[in-house]
Order: sequence, then C-alpha cells, then structure tokens
Amino acid sequence: MNHRFLLVPVAALVIAAPVQATVYLSVEQAQALMFPGATLAPVPITLTAEQVKSVERASDVNVLSPQVKAWRSPTGGWFIADQVVGKHEFIPFALAIDEHGAVKSVEILEYREAYGDQVRNEAWRAQFVGKTHASPLKLNDDIKNISGATLSSRHMTDGVKRLLAIYELVLAHTNG
Amino acid sequence: MKIRLLTLTLLASMATMPVAHADEPLFGYIYTTDTLPKDKSEVEQWATLREGRSQGTFHLLQTRTEYSYGVTDKFQLSGYLNLAWTKVDGNVPDGSTAPPEVFADYNVPSQGSWSRSRLESFSMEAIYRFASPYTSPVGAAVYLEPSLGPRTQELETRLILQSNFLDDRLVFAFNTTIGQERRYLHGDPSADPTSDDYRDHWDKETDVNFGLAGSYRFAPNWSLGAELQNEREWAGFNPFESDKRTNMAWYAGPTLHYGGRHFFMTFTTLFQLHGARDYANPADESFVVHGITNADDFEKYRFRLKLGYYF
Repeated sequence: MNHRFLLVPVAALVIAAPVQATVYLSVEQAQALMFPGATLAPVPITLTAEQVKSVERASDVNVLSPQVKAWRSPTGGWFIADQVVGKHEFIPFALAIDEHGAVKSVEILEYREAYGDQVRNEAWRAQFVGKTHASPLKLNDDIKNISGATLSSRHMTDGVKRLLAIYELVLAHTNG
Repeated sequence: MKIRLLTLTLLASMATMPVAHADEPLFGYIYTTDTLPKDKSEVEQWATLREGRSQGTFHLLQTRTEYSYGVTDKFQLSGYLNLAWTKVDGNVPDGSTAPPEVFADYNVPSQGSWSRSRLESFSMEAIYRFASPYTSPVGAAVYLEPSLGPRTQELETRLILQSNFLDDRLVFAFNTTIGQERRYLHGDPSADPTSDDYRDHWDKETDVNFGLAGSYRFAPNWSLGAELQNEREWAGFNPFESDKRTNMAWYAGPTLHYGGRHFFMTFTTLFQLHGARDYANPADESFVVHGITNADDFEKYRFRLKLGYYF
C-alpha cells in the first residue's frame, strides 16, 4: 500500500466552514417584545452570599452569578436577562414575570450550539407561562422534555426555576 | 512512510481550519453516552500514535475515518475505515523485531528494521442510550462494534456509564469493554510442532478493558480531564479462564477537549504505568521490563487526536 494513502483522511478534515452564534433578540428587543410599550427601569441587584444559599435551597438549582440583571415594569412586573449552561457555551435568555409573580413569557436571546435549539419552539416555551416559584418546574413532570435537546430543556427549566426563586426571595421585596 | 510528513500535514490542516463551533467526544479512549440527535450526522477523524517500547524502535500510527448518523435520538450508527502504519526494529526484550498486533499476520524478519502500512479494517458501530445523564443520576448506553479486515475479524461490546455534576460541566464516565478477535497468523517454525502456533491458524483473543475518566469544562468550549485505562488480554474467547490470561497493563493521562458549534477536537496522551503483567511466559522470557509490558498490543505512550464536524 502506498504510504500517502494514510494522508487521505487528513485532507477530509479541512472542510469546516466558519459558523457564528445565532442572535435572535437583543435585551432591548426582548424587553419591547415581552413588555410592549412599557418603559422598564433597571434594578441591578447583587445577591448576598446568604441570598445565594437561600435561592439554591429553594430552587435546588445552582446560582451561576450573584449579579442579577433585572428591570422593573411600571405595573410591577419584572424582566430578567440571564443565562444557563448549554452543551458548550451559555444560552442567554430572558424571563418576564407579571405583577403577581407568575411567568409571563420566556425568550431565548442567543443560541450557539449545533443541536438543541428546539427550546426556542414557541409551544415548548409556552409551558412556562403562569408558573410561579411554587410550581414543580421539573423536566418530564410539568415541563415536557424535548428528545434530542434534553440538556438544553433541563437547563432552561432549571434557569426559570432559579429566577422565580430569586423573584420570590429578593425581587418581590425590592423597591426599585 | 515519513512520519514527519504526516505530522506536519496534520498540524497544517489544523492551522488552516476555519474557526467554527462544535462538540463531543470529551475523551480520547473513554466513551460517553451522548448520541447524535435524530437525522443529524457527523464526520470524525482519529489519528493515534503509539510510541516506544523498553528497547529498540517502535512506531505505530493508526487512523480512523468515521461517519455517524443519528437513527433516533437514542440510537446512533457509524461506519469506520481503519488504516495503520508501523516501523519496528529490535522492539522485543530479547532484541529481536516483532510487529505490533495489527500487523501480526505478516511474516517479519526477526532481526532488523521492518516497516509497513495497511488497510486495517472496516468497522460498524451501534450505540443505544437507555438512560440520559441529563435526566437520570447515571446515564447508560451499550455499544457494539464489529470489524472486518484482511485476515482479521473482531467484535467489540461496551457498557458506558456516565454521571454529570455542576450543571453538567463536570463529567465522569466509566466503560467496560470486551473485544473478541480472530486473526489469521502464519505458522511459527520455532514453536512446538504439536501446537497450533506451528502451522497457519486463526488465533483467538479476548481483550477486556476497564476505563474511568473525568473532565471539567473550565471555560466555554474547553474541557480538561484525565483518563485511566486497565487493559487485560486472554488467549481464546473465554475471559473467565484464569489460566488463559496473557497480559495486563495500566494507562493514564490527560485529555483536552474543544467543542464548538460544529467543530470539535480532542487530544489525549496516555502513559503506560508500572504494574504490567505477563501471565503467559516464564520470567526469563517475560515481555515485562521494569514494570512495562512490551507485548504486541502495548507500548509506552499513546497520543490520540480526534477532529470532527457536525452537520
């Protein structure tokens, strides 16, 4: 066999094309979509160590950062921009909470993975509407799993649960 | 074969490869339970350089070109083309020359340098995941890989367990692998004339490997980990016959993984640890030198590079 034969598979590798992250919504666009016509007031919050522990205890989900990027609506609702762990990179998303502490809507801001972007599906995201901190928010329980996108489904579910716990324990008691 | 040429070509390919984003596998030798989603596919290229013995010259380069397809979200099929190149010289403890296992069916002069490249085999691989580590404390999958090559037949079965922690950024995987192979060998005129080894025959062997690995995603796209592998060999197809044991060795080393949106890269280095055993030969003919085995499927160092692209 000719030794150069061994080089053939190497040549087969040089086929990758540049791929950029897909940005679906900026934070400003998400705010306009989730609270149409409202002027949101930024209320940046840094969780104390004690609050981080309380949120993790209440939600059973790790707090990735003590910084909470929150905005308050004139009617008492909240807009929070956050992110969850994806297969390789973070998945930025936004959560809108109404004045009663229930989920108004969830939007995926950016998706950087090859697979699992079914979490952008409107019907899947609609499962979160009306959920509160008291809801189970558990995959395969009150939130359906997406086969082939299990990691993204679980982390998005956990992310919403974490933010609802932050709302209940911190934001609901904040005068912004 | 100029090994330098292949290395340079590999490096040049990597340097010119556009920056993209991508995925699995986290490890070089240990499998995880992840499979492709339904109707998705992937091409993957492996290059494994197996280097060094206790004496002489030993180089073995094996490449694997793979195409994988997600039949369902839990079931993945792959096809491989396996090629190999070797160069050996005085690589046996007694100073003679012997080929690595994948070239064992060649007649090799017992003295001097010998080099050859070959088509090693074609393989099919099926992985079925019956528990996901993202929804269960322990994910589990089974793996089946039949291979067919010139004068070689092999069936490898594997149980894969995986457990994730810290939002799936810390991953542990455990593999148990059983490989049963038949290799057509030429007769050895120096062997006992009443034995199978004296004449051309199908040699049977069973490999049982236990592998443990852990990896942590220390930055977006990048994971660093370590792998530990225990490899055991038996003559024949029954790994429960202790008198048929032939060799045992340990390997360990670091592994670095980059996973982006479509492109991934994994590089693993394994070192053979002291503690190898040669069960088949008397002490004065043992393949173990200073705790390292020089049997035909073992060497001091293994370097494995995997590159892949998801569609």
